[in-house]
Amino acid sequence: MKISRRNFLKGSATTLFLAGFNFPILANASKKKNLVVIMLRGGMDGLCAVPIISDKNFEKRRKDLILDETIKLNSDFALHPKLKNFHNLWQNNLGAIVHATNIPYTKRSHFDGQNLMETGGHIPYSIKTGWLGRGMKLAGLKGDGLALSLPMPLLLRGIPSNDNFYPSKKRLPRTELLKLLKSIYAEKSEHNLANMMEIIANRSMMNNGGTSMSRKNSSLALKAGLELKKINGPRVAVFEVDGFDTHAAQGGVNGSHSDSLIEMDTIFKSLEKGLGNEIENTLVLTLTEFGRTIEQNGGRGTEHGYGSAIFMAGGLLKKSQVYSDWPGLKRKELFEGRDLNSTIDSRSVYASAMSTVFDIDFKRIQKEVFWGDELQNLSDKLFKA
Amino acid sequence: MKNFYRKVAFGLGPDDKTPSDPLKWATNQLNDIPEFSWKGKILPEKELRKYYRDYVYGDRKVLRKKFKNDKEGYKREKNKLRHVTGQKFWWNLELCIRHSEALKSETPVLAKLWYFWGNHFAISEKDFLAQYTTGAYQREIIRSNMNQNFEKMVQEATVAWTMIHHLDNNDNVGPKSQEARWAKEKGRKVGINENHARELLELHTVSPDCGYSQEDVVQMAYVMSGWRPNWGKKRLETGDVHFNSEYHQPGTKRILGKKYKSGRKSLSAVITDLVNHPSCREYIAMKLCRYFITDNPTKEMMEPIIKAWEKSDGFLPDVHKAAVEVAFNYSDKFKKFQNPENWLLIMSKMSDVELIPTPKLMDLYTLGLKPTHEQRSLEYLLRELGHHPYLAKQPNGWSDNSDDWMSPELLIRRLVYAKEAYFKKNRKSQTNEFYEEMIEKNYNNPNEILKTLNQHGDLSNKHVILFNLPETLKS
Repeated sequence: MKISRRNFLKGSATTLFLAGFNFPILANASKKKNLVVIMLRGGMDGLCAVPIISDKNFEKRRKDLILDETIKLNSDFALHPKLKNFHNLWQNNLGAIVHATNIPYTKRSHFDGQNLMETGGHIPYSIKTGWLGRGMKLAGLKGDGLALSLPMPLLLRGIPSNDNFYPSKKRLPRTELLKLLKSIYAEKSEHNLANMMEIIANRSMMNNGGTSMSRKNSSLALKAGLELKKINGPRVAVFEVDGFDTHAAQGGVNGSHSDSLIEMDTIFKSLEKGLGNEIENTLVLTLTEFGRTIEQNGGRGTEHGYGSAIFMAGGLLKKSQVYSDWPGLKRKELFEGRDLNSTIDSRSVYASAMSTVFDIDFKRIQKEVFWGDELQNLSDKLFKA
Repeated sequence: MKNFYRKVAFGLGPDDKTPSDPLKWATNQLNDIPEFSWKGKILPEKELRKYYRDYVYGDRKVLRKKFKNDKEGYKREKNKLRHVTGQKFWWNLELCIRHSEALKSETPVLAKLWYFWGNHFAISEKDFLAQYTTGAYQREIIRSNMNQNFEKMVQEATVAWTMIHHLDNNDNVGPKSQEARWAKEKGRKVGINENHARELLELHTVSPDCGYSQEDVVQMAYVMSGWRPNWGKKRLETGDVHFNSEYHQPGTKRILGKKYKSGRKSLSAVITDLVNHPSCREYIAMKLCRYFITDNPTKEMMEPIIKAWEKSDGFLPDVHKAAVEVAFNYSDKFKKFQNPENWLLIMSKMSDVELIPTPKLMDLYTLGLKPTHEQRSLEYLLRELGHHPYLAKQPNGWSDNSDDWMSPELLIRRLVYAKEAYFKKNRKSQTNEFYEEMIEKNYNNPNEILKTLNQHGDLSNKHVILFNLPETLKS
C-alpha cells in the first residue's frame, strides 16, 4: 500500500493562514481545564508503538521486531496490541496520535535530548526553565503544578510553588506535630514553609495518618486524577516513565519496549479513573527525546533515532485520528539514511495544547515561551476550543 | 553567632569544645589537605574506571549479542554483571569517605567547601559515572586541589576523564581535522560538540556575565577538539584522556578577543586567561556567598573575597578564608537554607547519629555479591532525600537557591528521616540532658527553642521538631 503525505500537509496551509488573523481564544475560559504531560525517557520508538501497516521497507529492516496482532487504527497505522487502555480511549474519541514528529534535536544523546525536550530550546543546558513552567507563568498558574516525582522536573521550572507527590515509604509524623511546626513557621514569618506544611498536614489526614502508598505510576496517576478533578486542585501534572532505551532484546509484543509502553498505558487508565467526567476537560500528551532507528541492531534492539510519535488523550481532543505528514521509509526519505524523519516540530503540538488548555493566544506562547520560533498553530486542528 | 558553626560546617558535635575564637577555628582548617579520615579501603579513580570498562564492555559487546532473543536472560545476566563490577557498591563507599570528612574529621569547614567545589565542577547524572568514578573524581581532582590556585583545579578538572566523558568532548571533532577528512571519505559527517566548551565558560569560569558570544563558544570548542579518551577495542571509551592532534581543529582560534595558536598547549593557555578574567572571580565570589550566606548576595559581601583572590592570584586557601570571614560577619543577619545533604550532616553531627556504616562493614563487601542493605544505606538515603550529590540533573549541579528545595515531598523527607535518624542514635544521646547541652552549644536562642520543644513529651518528636525548626533548616 502506498501512503502519501496527508492531513497535515493539506491542513497546515489553512492553519497558518488563519493564524495570521490572530484570533483571540477566549471560549470556555471559565471552565477548569487540565494539562498532563507524560515524559517517556530513553527514546520512545514511535514505530513500535504505532507501526505503519504493510510497508515493505519497514518489514525488511525490522524482521525480528515486527509485532503480531496489532490493533488496526486506520488504513495506514496500527497500534501496539498491549496499549489496550489507549485503544479504549481511541474508540471513544478520546485518543489521538501525532506521528513522525520530534523536538528539533537531531543528535543522539539522551541527556542533551531530554534536556531539550524539557526546556524546549535548541542548545542543551543553555535554558534553565521548562517550556511548561514558562507557559504556566504566562498563564499566571502559580501553585497549579503537580509533579509525580521527587525532584521537581526541569519541565515545570519557571514558575514557583509547584506541588509534588511521590510518597515516602515512611510514616508521616502525627498531624499535631505538623500543625505545631506550621504555627512556628507562621509565627516566624516563614510563609513558604508554612504553606508547604499546610499541604503536608492536609495530605497526612487524607492518607489515614500517612501510611505509605505505592510509587507505581498507576497509583500516582489515580491520585493525580483525583486531584486534577477538584475545582481548586492543580491544573497541570507531570509524569515520568523510564526504560525506553532498548538497545537489546527490544523484542516483539512481549519485549522490553512493551514493558515501558504498558506502564504508560496504565497512566492513561488510572488518570481516566481518577478524573471521572473531568477527563472531558483534560488533555494528556506524551513527550520523548527522540525515536529509534528503523533498522534493528545486532542485539535485536534499536539505536537512538530521530522522529517519534506523540500520544494524546482526553476530551479536549477533536477526534480520534493519526495526524501525520508522513515522510516515508525509503532510504532517501529517512533522516541521515537511518531514522524516521520528523515532519512536525513537536513543540507546535505542545504550544497549541497550552494555548487551548490555558486559554492563551498561540502567538503569545510562541513568542514568550518558544522565543518566536517558527511553530504551527495546530489548536483548531487537534483540539476543541 | 552560633549558627556560624552550621553555616560554614555542620555544627558542633558532642565531643567538640566550643572554640574560643570561632573564626580562627574555621580558617585554621583551610591551609592543608589532610589525609582522609575514612579508615577503610579507598580506590584510585583509575581502578574504578576499569570496573566501568568491564561493565560497559560486558553489556554492550557480550550480553546484548548473546541474549538478543531473551529479555529475561538479558536482564538476569546484566544484573550479575552489575554486581561483578561493584556497580551498587562503589558509590556507597565514596559517600562514606565523603561524609566522614563532615562528621569524623578535624576539618569539617574544608569538607563543606569540598562539597561546594564538587558541585561547581558538577558531574551530573550520565551513563554510569555516578556509580563508578564521580566520587573518585571529586577526591582526586577537586579535593586534592583545594590548597592550590583555582587555575590548577580548572586545568585538571577540564581534562579529567569523568568530566570529558560527562560533557561529550569525545564527540568534539574539528571540522577541518584529519579525522573529519577521513570521515568524509567514508561518507560520515563529524563536527564540533560545544557542550564542554560552553560549560567551561558558563559554569566553570567566567559565566555569561563576561559577555562571550556564540562564536567564542565555537572557538573554544575548536581549542578543545582532540582532548578525548584514548579509545581501544577492549577498553572502549574508558582510556585515559590524551590530546589527539588528528581530531584537533587546525588554525588560529580567537576567544574573547585574544588569539591562540593551534595545538595541545592552547587549552591550557585559554584556561589561564579565563581564570584571570575579572568575571571569573566575581562569579566564584557570588557563588560562595550564595552557598554560605544568602540566595541574593550583595556587592559588599562579594568584595572581600574578590580582593583576596586578586591579592593571592586565586590561591584557594586565601579565597576560602575570605569567604568564611564574610560568612562570619554576616552570620547574625543572614541565614541560609541548607540543602538536604548538608542538613542531614548537620543533624547527624550535632545529635550524634551513626549515619555512616563502619569501615569494617564496608570492607567486608565482596565483588559479585549484592551489597547488603546496610552497605547501601547512604546512597538510598540521599536519593530519598532528593539530593544525591553524584546525580545532579544537569551540569550546573544542584541548586543553591532555597526555592528549588521547597516542595512538599522534600520537606516530608526531612520529617520522616529526622525521625528515623533518632532511632539510629545510641542510648547515651537519647536523653533530655543531651539535647539541652547540644542546643545550648549550637543555637543563639536556646531558651526559646527548649520552651518550644518542652511542649512535647516524647524525645523522638522533639528531635523531629528541632531539626525542622527554621533555626535548623536555615543556618
